[in-house]
Amino acid sequence: MENFWMYLIVVIYFLSIAFLGYLGYRKTNGTKDYLIGGGQMNPIIMSLSYGATFISASAIVGFGGVAATFGLGIQWLMFLNMFVGVVIAFIIFGRPTRKIGAKLKSNSFAQFLGSYYRSRRIRIFSAAIIFICMPMYAAAVLRGGVFCMQEVFGINFNLSLLIFTIIVASYVMAGGMKGVMYTDALQAVIMFICMGILVFGVYKKLGMGFSEANEALGSIADKVPEKLAKIGHQGWTSMPVFGSQQWCTLITSMIMGVGIGCLAQPQLVVRFMTVDSTQKLNRGVAIGCIFLIITVGIIYHVGAISNLFFYNTEGKIAGEMVDASDKIIPFFIGKIMPTWFVTIFMLCILSASMSTLSAQFHTMAAAAGNDIYGTLNRKDRNNSNKMTTVIRLAVLISILISFVICFVLGESNDSPIIAISTSLFMGICASAFLPSYFCALYWKKVTKRGAYASMWVGVISTILLLIFIHAKEATALGICNTLFGTDVLITDGLMKFIDPIMFAFPLSSITIVVVSLLTQPKNKIENVYPHA
Amino acid sequence: MFGISDPSIWIVYLLSILCVIGSVIFGIITWNKTDEDENNTNKQEDPNKKIKE
Repeated sequence: MENFWMYLIVVIYFLSIAFLGYLGYRKTNGTKDYLIGGGQMNPIIMSLSYGATFISASAIVGFGGVAATFGLGIQWLMFLNMFVGVVIAFIIFGRPTRKIGAKLKSNSFAQFLGSYYRSRRIRIFSAAIIFICMPMYAAAVLRGGVFCMQEVFGINFNLSLLIFTIIVASYVMAGGMKGVMYTDALQAVIMFICMGILVFGVYKKLGMGFSEANEALGSIADKVPEKLAKIGHQGWTSMPVFGSQQWCTLITSMIMGVGIGCLAQPQLVVRFMTVDSTQKLNRGVAIGCIFLIITVGIIYHVGAISNLFFYNTEGKIAGEMVDASDKIIPFFIGKIMPTWFVTIFMLCILSASMSTLSAQFHTMAAAAGNDIYGTLNRKDRNNSNKMTTVIRLAVLISILISFVICFVLGESNDSPIIAISTSLFMGICASAFLPSYFCALYWKKVTKRGAYASMWVGVISTILLLIFIHAKEATALGICNTLFGTDVLITDGLMKFIDPIMFAFPLSSITIVVVSLLTQPKNKIENVYPHA
Repeated sequence: MFGISDPSIWIVYLLSILCVIGSVIFGIITWNKTDEDENNTNKQEDPNKKIKE
């Protein structure tokens, strides 16, 4: 009987997704509808879609596990997700992006940059970066969704991969941006409700209040494993030792890298172009913040609290209960929550994967179809129906690439490629796109040469830092070892633990300022950009 | 505060709560507020609409 209800919930979920995808298809008429939802989306749908795209399964399961291992210091990431990822993103970036995007009739991030700087090279270069780097990142998200599907249905990896890909492909291809955003909104609501139930369930089981549980968690700081204490862990309710290895990883990679890197992610930026007024963006700020504090805030908190539960019941901390931090959250929920909730939670993880993945497929397709094909093929550019068909084909190609990567890597392959490409994509978004994007919005003296040079510096410096300096990726790649006989070029100090974004972003920012000032046009005509 | 002794942890909870409260207040204040240039654009568009009608 329990299985019947479980399958019924899952079937209702997929039927709802199919219906919303169909609704998106019915309401899509032309390229603008397909790429930015006609620019007239509802603010609630827009902000829920933004939040759901922002939060992938790895944010829930992966970072929830990180919180269980390293403690509540990770809540700084939640705060930055809200403050930088929503408040600053919507108000400082979103409002001018929407206005300038509407003036330039931009339907994608690459088109926005290309049109703003009046440069086909910048448009194609940005689109190429998205199309080359994103499939691997999408494959990582796809794998997360497939593992979750395996858990729900008890079917093998390849069949799960096929079913999951077909479901996401159907509604992205058919419904375009409207299909993606409608389904995102539903998935965001599921995630929101699920986290609400989870936090009540956890505290009910613990039999403690919020402050009491935090105090109890603080009192077991001496149970921190020795190997973690050596790298700076001081307990789950304390920040790591200032300047320690753990502090560097937490601050630079997780907090600064993910917190700041989100500002120039194409799949998020394009959502600002889906509404037709600043008023709608303003309304979205509160919805975005509430969504993030409930989803991300709760899962990080619950992750850390799991140590208290396992210590009270089993005499062990969370990290000692399972062999990998990614397994802590599912294991903890399986232990503490009723069976029906485990199914709902799996749908929550599936929703998080699907919403992020659909946005990635759509962004890759926009880059390939609208920006690369559309720029190179002048004949078809003005034929809206033909361009929509081309972009639909590009969705299919993007999905096939990610599907093949995921299939080749397989279930048990622990290849570091996915982790490296995810870091690469995040790093490039921040270092290659953010300076050009910010200057387009706020600095009138920026030139196309400055923007182009900054993008190149951002890409090259990120790649070099990942290959030769940052220990995690450099060791896995082994290129530095092959060439120089050492895993990283700078072995002394904490340099090897500092995220590449901390060097690549300042470098590309300096480049855009210096090159722009050196290439100021004499007649000033070039700099008459449509500032908001 | 909140049962957490380390200020660098409890302060993030406080900041997050303030951030949500601030965003709600911002939403209420700006709920019906439109930008001046958006108003101007709409005003400029109105006569054209009348002519077409």
